[in-house]
Amino acid sequence: MTKGIKKLARVVGGMKNLVFILLAVLWGLTLLLRLFEPLGYLYLALGIVFLIYVVWPLYNSRRLVGYYWQRVKRNRLAVLGLAFILFLILLAVFGPIFTPDPTAANFEQKNLPPVGFTTSESIYNPQTAQFNTRLVNGTREHPLGTDNKGRDLLAMIISGARVSLQVGLLATGIAVALGTLIGVVSAYLGGKMDNILMRLTDIVMTFPFFLLLVFIVFIFGPSLAFIVLIIGLTGWTGVARLIRSEALSLRTREFVLASKALGASDGRIILAHLVPNVISLIIVIATLSIPGVIMAEAALSFIGLGDPAVTSWGMVLRAGQQSLDTSWWVAVAPGAMLFFTVLAFNFVGDGLRDAFDPRSNI
Amino acid sequence: MRKTWLRDYIIKRLFYAVIITWGILTITFILVRVGPTSPADKYLANLAARGENPAQVTAAIEARYGLDKPIYEQYANYLGNLVRGDWGWSFSTSMPVIELVKTHWIYSFQLILFSTILAALVGILIGIYSAVRQYSKTDYIATFFSFIGISIPNFWLGVMLILLFSVKLGLFKTYYDTGIPLFSLANLKQLILPVLTLAIGMMAGYTRYTRSAMLDNLGKDFVRTARAKGLPERVVIGKHVFRNAVLPLVTIIMFDLGSIVFGGAYLTEIVFGIPGLGRISFNAIFADDYAVVVVVTVISAFLILLINLATDIAYAYLDPRIRYD
Repeated sequence: MTKGIKKLARVVGGMKNLVFILLAVLWGLTLLLRLFEPLGYLYLALGIVFLIYVVWPLYNSRRLVGYYWQRVKRNRLAVLGLAFILFLILLAVFGPIFTPDPTAANFEQKNLPPVGFTTSESIYNPQTAQFNTRLVNGTREHPLGTDNKGRDLLAMIISGARVSLQVGLLATGIAVALGTLIGVVSAYLGGKMDNILMRLTDIVMTFPFFLLLVFIVFIFGPSLAFIVLIIGLTGWTGVARLIRSEALSLRTREFVLASKALGASDGRIILAHLVPNVISLIIVIATLSIPGVIMAEAALSFIGLGDPAVTSWGMVLRAGQQSLDTSWWVAVAPGAMLFFTVLAFNFVGDGLRDAFDPRSNI
Repeated sequence: MRKTWLRDYIIKRLFYAVIITWGILTITFILVRVGPTSPADKYLANLAARGENPAQVTAAIEARYGLDKPIYEQYANYLGNLVRGDWGWSFSTSMPVIELVKTHWIYSFQLILFSTILAALVGILIGIYSAVRQYSKTDYIATFFSFIGISIPNFWLGVMLILLFSVKLGLFKTYYDTGIPLFSLANLKQLILPVLTLAIGMMAGYTRYTRSAMLDNLGKDFVRTARAKGLPERVVIGKHVFRNAVLPLVTIIMFDLGSIVFGGAYLTEIVFGIPGLGRISFNAIFADDYAVVVVVTVISAFLILLINLATDIAYAYLDPRIRYD
């Protein structure tokens, strides 16, 4: 059995490649099952990249990971942030099972305050032609209250957590993968290629990130998968620059020269030597990029350019701003969640950066 | 030697600026062309709803916008028109786009100007203090609040400020009143909330940058020398440390203008209903008014390009240590 695996591994050129192929097949199968979900393709591609370039190297250097984990653990805020992110992931994955449909309107239960709060509501009485004021208490059925269409706020918040995490992780994945590739290739090849890639980076960087997003989504129309893709395809510039400067110093190191002398191809040097050596930088940049991406998506939905089919935090906040005088909680809750999420990722990113390299100031 | 290098450097940067401008224009042109709807579609829908013959209307619109010409000719016209200042017609407001920009830019400008001044002043001062008293209680508090500042979504902050100060306390109006003259105290008052909204995030960023730029220099040998020769601490910090920290700081502030401030101002204008460039672009989006959206995007990219260019040249001119080869 083990012999068979080893032989197979030799045929495809190493254990790593065998695992890669097996995973690709596995992912391909799951993909077939959810062919109609547009984000499935992104999960596939990013999952593979993530396994090869993050999980595999980390697994191979368990001792080092343990050492860094000890250092991250010393930063209490980072641990707190990590706990919040884990909580958010659990909420996004399992929350929808326990909450009602976030899009189901119920006008009899509209504008209910959160549990423990009481508001007064004016109701028009057609028989006496007068406005009666009555007090409304929050109910346990809707712990965070409802909006002006009677939709459950908790359910909307959970749906929003799902959207934000998806966008944050997937779009950052694309941006970081693309940025790393462009940065490393640019640094390694140098010369004309470097010049062209860096001018391209300059051009994309010159657009204000958010305005470019607005522009593209305006032209092509909003759908969640498309927004993820676009944030990924426009957000790589900063990553590319940082990785390039790091890779420039790596390029002339002895181990790169040695593998070149041994006849390694450019592709192999880039993928097997340069990328693994900037992996700690990549992890830090990725963690610190997630907040910006999540905020960009929320801002897009806030101005009404989000995917109208999914309930996201920005969309709820937009509705909340329009009913500030009757139901303030609708505006408070999604923004607070957005704020805590961004804060948590910033704390974790900061903790990771300090653990990897206390002197760097990215 | 240095002079010729500086001249060559400026020429090179100008050359790059031209290339980047061309890139900006080309990318926007390609995006609009590749997009699934044509700029004429909305117009067409309006006219067709009035019972006009769709085929005739389409032909008329295509002729009006030059869409019937071959693509390379359209491209050349697009570049030429934008460069010449003929920015097209905004049908949702029925005026030339350039007139629209001329009447509205000042609202964005005042917002960004006041916010940048406030954020830079407060942020840099806190940053210096924080660095000088590193690991003190004040430093921890400042660091913590700057974390909160960079993490708070500015559009939510704006809504919360409106909720607290306008809806609950009734201190301000809930929207920006354009009836108030620009140069008046009443205008300053109604700018308080928007400026705070935009400035808090920037302030937090500047605090962090200043702190780390100051710390980079505080441990250097020349600081020890300055202290050793008995200079008062005020001079050491102000003249020796801060002067060395200020150049990277200015670069970052200028860079921020592009990535954070323009996007932030766009959202702040929408939250408070300030009729600046962000707001007109926002309105144009929901009226499918392509010309306005394109122009606002191109203008902001071009402004950032100019700002970056000016910063780089000033940087190279001011700092004799700099050589980019």
